[in-house]
Amino acid sequence: MKNSIFATLICGALVCTALAGTASARTDAFDAVVKVIEQHYHVKHKGLPFLARAGMKTAKAAARLAGGQKRRLAEAGSVKVAYFEDQDFVSIAGASDFRKNLKSALLPEWLPFVQVLAPNDEQQTYVFLREAGPKFNLLVVNIDKHEGSVVQVDVSPETLALLLQNPNDIGKAITDDATTTDY
Amino acid sequence: MKLLSHTNLKIASLFAAVVFGSAITAMAQDTRVQTSQLDYLTAKASSTVDVNIDERLIQLTAKFLSTKNPDEASVKEVVNGLKGIYVRSFEFEKENEYSLADLESIRSQLRGPGWSRIVNVSSRKEGNVEVYLMINGSQIGGLAVLASEPKELTVVNVIGPVDLEKLTKLEGQFGIPELEIESSKTKRKN
Repeated sequence: MKNSIFATLICGALVCTALAGTASARTDAFDAVVKVIEQHYHVKHKGLPFLARAGMKTAKAAARLAGGQKRRLAEAGSVKVAYFEDQDFVSIAGASDFRKNLKSALLPEWLPFVQVLAPNDEQQTYVFLREAGPKFNLLVVNIDKHEGSVVQVDVSPETLALLLQNPNDIGKAITDDATTTDY
Repeated sequence: MKLLSHTNLKIASLFAAVVFGSAITAMAQDTRVQTSQLDYLTAKASSTVDVNIDERLIQLTAKFLSTKNPDEASVKEVVNGLKGIYVRSFEFEKENEYSLADLESIRSQLRGPGWSRIVNVSSRKEGNVEVYLMINGSQIGGLAVLASEPKELTVVNVIGPVDLEKLTKLEGQFGIPELEIESSKTKRKN
């Protein structure tokens, strides 16, 4: 009898853990990706409050778009940034495991759109994309030797169309846009 | 009896639709060149680029490209009707980091039904460039480029009606590298 109660409790706990994991992945891809980086590389992100200004339409950023247009890429108020500074992005498990973890943290609706890797320089850039009503969510993960960032923004279809012409540069353009202010 | 034959007709139509749909899906899948077997090269490469642009994104781009700007209008014309652009590129510090078996794993797919290699295609770049077209009846269903240099390996796969001329217009855009492809005559070889 004791064994059966114990087994039921264990099963219940496992189901709850699984459900909580699924719910978490569904609710916030940004948080899930930050968590993957923290767990895989044993690093801690910083929240930078001034970056909240990044989504303001009035600001100008040197966004490197096809055609050299200078304007905000992200829609107002849509920017989420997590920054990892002066930390060591070294993992025994390696970058391959990190990519797997990253993809499994995101729902299939996130399209792995661009991936640019320079293993010798320990640089990794991943851009994921998903539809969000009339707009699109872009999730950009940048990992360097000692720095990293996760940026999530909403972009309009017009902006995405411009960015798509030079996909290799999207990660940099979005990250610069979200982390640069030039008042 | 009449009701039965009507039902049979419906079932037959549904079956035909399913078969036709499956055939279309299979065709699209055959046009897509698989490159996951090259994943292991990522660890050896000094730089890798992987771009996946599906039909929806291509059409979105086409929709917002201006017809007034000659450059944009030209790209818009080229991308209209395309169903996918997939690019996989590796750069290495040393030579011979990828093997002939890696090249063969791509070529073997491009020897499949419908694929033809275009001969007399050259590139101003160093190395070897092979261009393949997928022909579905009288229509071009896709294109694949295998570019191999001693320290570089690139696979470009464009799905949809695209010819060599269109490909050259797409170079440098949508993640397609500057392949500097030149064609003296368009000949096909199975």
